[in-house]
Amino acid sequence: MNEQTPVFANPLAGLGYEEATLLAPGAFSAVCARPGVGKTAFLVQMALWALSLEKHVLHVSLCDPIKKVDLWYRDLFSNLVGRAPGPEAPVTWAAFLPRRFIMTFKVEGFSVPKLEERLTDLVEQEIFTPHVMLLDGLVSDDSLEKVIEALKHLAQRHFLPVWFSVQTQQYPCSEASTAVPPPLKETADAMDAILSIEGAADQILVKRIKGKTHSAARSFLRMDPATLLLTDEDA
Amino acid sequence: MNTDISLVRNIGISAHIDAGKTTLTERILFYTRRIHAIHDVKGKDGVGATMDFMELEKERGITIASAATYCRWKDHEINIIDTPGHVDFTIEVERSLRVLDGAVLVLCSVGGVQSQSITVNHQMNRYQVPCMAFINKCDRVGANPERVIRQIKEKLGHNAVALQLPIGLEAEFSGLVDLVRMKALYFDGEKGESVRTAPIPETLMDAALEAREALIDTVSMFSDALMEAALEDRVTEELLLSSVREATLSRKIMPVFLGSAYKNKGVQPLLDAVTQLLPSPFDVVNTALDLHRENAPVPLETDPGKPLVALAFKLEDGPYGQLTYIRVYQGTLSKGDTVQNVRTQKTLKVGRVVRMHADKMEDMEAIPSGFIGALFGVDCYSGDTFVKPGLSLTMTSMHVPEPVIALALFPRGNKSQIQVTKALERFTKEDPTFKSHVDEETGETIISGMGELHLDIYVERMRREYGADVTTGMPRVAYREAITQRADFDYTHKKQSGGAGQYARVVGYMEPAAEEEFIFESRIVGGAIPKPFVVACEKGFRNCLKKGPFMEYPIIGIKIVLTDGNTHPVDSSEIAFQAAARGAFLGAFGKARPMLMEPVMKVVVETPTEFQGTVMGSLNQRRGIIEGSQDEGLFSVIEARVPLSEMFGYSTVLRSLTQGKAQFTMEFSSYQPVPQSIAEDLAKKKAAQKGK
Repeated sequence: MNEQTPVFANPLAGLGYEEATLLAPGAFSAVCARPGVGKTAFLVQMALWALSLEKHVLHVSLCDPIKKVDLWYRDLFSNLVGRAPGPEAPVTWAAFLPRRFIMTFKVEGFSVPKLEERLTDLVEQEIFTPHVMLLDGLVSDDSLEKVIEALKHLAQRHFLPVWFSVQTQQYPCSEASTAVPPPLKETADAMDAILSIEGAADQILVKRIKGKTHSAARSFLRMDPATLLLTDEDA
Repeated sequence: MNTDISLVRNIGISAHIDAGKTTLTERILFYTRRIHAIHDVKGKDGVGATMDFMELEKERGITIASAATYCRWKDHEINIIDTPGHVDFTIEVERSLRVLDGAVLVLCSVGGVQSQSITVNHQMNRYQVPCMAFINKCDRVGANPERVIRQIKEKLGHNAVALQLPIGLEAEFSGLVDLVRMKALYFDGEKGESVRTAPIPETLMDAALEAREALIDTVSMFSDALMEAALEDRVTEELLLSSVREATLSRKIMPVFLGSAYKNKGVQPLLDAVTQLLPSPFDVVNTALDLHRENAPVPLETDPGKPLVALAFKLEDGPYGQLTYIRVYQGTLSKGDTVQNVRTQKTLKVGRVVRMHADKMEDMEAIPSGFIGALFGVDCYSGDTFVKPGLSLTMTSMHVPEPVIALALFPRGNKSQIQVTKALERFTKEDPTFKSHVDEETGETIISGMGELHLDIYVERMRREYGADVTTGMPRVAYREAITQRADFDYTHKKQSGGAGQYARVVGYMEPAAEEEFIFESRIVGGAIPKPFVVACEKGFRNCLKKGPFMEYPIIGIKIVLTDGNTHPVDSSEIAFQAAARGAFLGAFGKARPMLMEPVMKVVVETPTEFQGTVMGSLNQRRGIIEGSQDEGLFSVIEARVPLSEMFGYSTVLRSLTQGKAQFTMEFSSYQPVPQSIAEDLAKKKAAQKGK
């Protein structure tokens, strides 16, 4: 690793998730929330953390064009380095870029076999070999179960840790509620970790639903509504 | 000539290359009776489209220079600027948008929103130009206007709203449904010159009602009157049109029209829409800068009686001398008037005033505010402002990108040398992104511009229009030097050995300033260096930026802070401090880990999906960083950042890799460090060149 590269901290350490679990080959994790609460911001923070560990990240988006996804990365990166500013930020960003590949599909044109075909092309032609894959924008409809199942197999076949986001409906926000949200109920067993993001009037909470690996002090983190960065500090 | 300014429309037609904008313009001129026959862009008839009047444009089938023309449609006077579609010529597009009040964005119903459409859209946004879209080529296989409308929303961020539905598509494309009047439109006659209205076909009625409801829903968000009328089910054609116009002028919506210019369908309704929906000069607020009040913005009034303010936005050298295209923003520019060029402060008498119809012209007595015309025999540069003598207003300066590529020119023989000099004088006046200079060391004439094609076209024009026998060297990239770490300096310039002495001491540091070209800051306290000498220091440092000590390329991204210094009561002078600054700079620059920087381009390739991997591979081989790929069904869009030095000849490579089915655009993105091994090679080459 470049000696100047800041290693962003594991954003989920406060919830008791360890690096070894989150980024293990074939690890399969989900985050769910209703629209506009912060799923993309969450995934991009996971990506930036992986990038700072010199992992190659494939970011698949079913909702945003390349430019918009890139903007998410730029914004959150500058917010993250803003926590501890250093003159090397442009150098770090330049080092991150070759390690990130954004692939976008229209939701209606997306299928896991198509994704796998593209992924195989990238790897076989030595264009980009991902170490982590993020999939943003799955919609909870009738086909979700099948898509998750196929995605799990893809993760296993390619030894890729996969994080994906699923859009859910409004659920009551209570710090005690840790039930698996409905869209993932049938497939929860396939997941190594499940998180839920819930927005209330004045705060956004990221709650652990499944998969803690050691005793954690907290069951939820906060997402700063201004920067959309995860924090284990109380509001 | 119509003098009612509310009936004037100054519009631009912009699009991606090959979306069909020149064909559309040609049809517009035909239906408005400006021309009496239709020619194709790549005409088999050997005539070529009217707007592509340069010989080279006819040959390549692309529009290089904006040709201004005007026409009349239903009592309205429409001034049209046809704009180039290739990214290399975007200064033309920018100039057009600067002087236009509205624009039509032409999109291909098969290709959809392509990369150049996105660039053009950025430019429209920059100048806040209200625009409408025309989805062309609805007769082509794979035509899908719905998808294009979706793309306008997603990729361009416009609130696109269809005002028409197609009747059939591809080979079945036979007409349009007008969703405002709820009528079907058919285009009869050999050249579609007769528009026939008919009831909407029954099979399309449900879709038409649904689309009209969607139109009213969208537009009513910006019109209370329409919202009320919609709730009470009493939406009239006039109310709907006026609400669409209001929302278009404020850029809240982008109305979308359909057609096939080539098949003579949909052009007349588009012309109606131009007159009904796009702004007249009255509807647009233009501002000038007041030079006497620190460039404070001054709103201009579209009033022919006010003092003159006009902008020269394009120059062309024709057989009768220099032709200056001009837009009058305020006042009237009449034959025989005395006007002042704000840049040179020189006054001049206006000779012949004309208006252009491609390469033909008509004499006029005057150009009133809001109109576009042309002057003969006026010595000026593109972008100059003309005012009534005594006024200190200048039009907002246009954004001009720096050239990124250079070529050496080798004219054969004295005659060619003279012709090249003439051509360069004209081209550099016409196009601010095209520059030329003579290399001090080699004596070669160097031209620089925005891309390979940009320079290629100018070299070709030198050969054809000036008969110059000229060859070119290999393209050269505009490298830069930058530092990567802070370095302190403490330098004393001392020359006190007889005669008038020189003494100056400067202390401070330099550090990288990534986003800026050059920053100079003085933190001198207590008068250690008097102010005039601080200014001399800045001048000294600035002079060092022209040629870096590392590899003699200009320096960018550097901040110099002066913290202390020393003077001598007799021997200190401005010259001494300039020399001290130079000494300090040379000493510190080497310690600040200098590196070579190269221009990196944003490259966007649109390719059939089956070639996606191949295209990515080709970009990868060129040291490109692929940012991502966008799946668009049959097509994929690949976005990458690639060093310019690796992109020479890429169009040929891409054609052969994709059977000619892919296309790409590129534009300057940023300067990035050159990898060590390549920098070493360049240094060796440079040394070898110097040794020769």
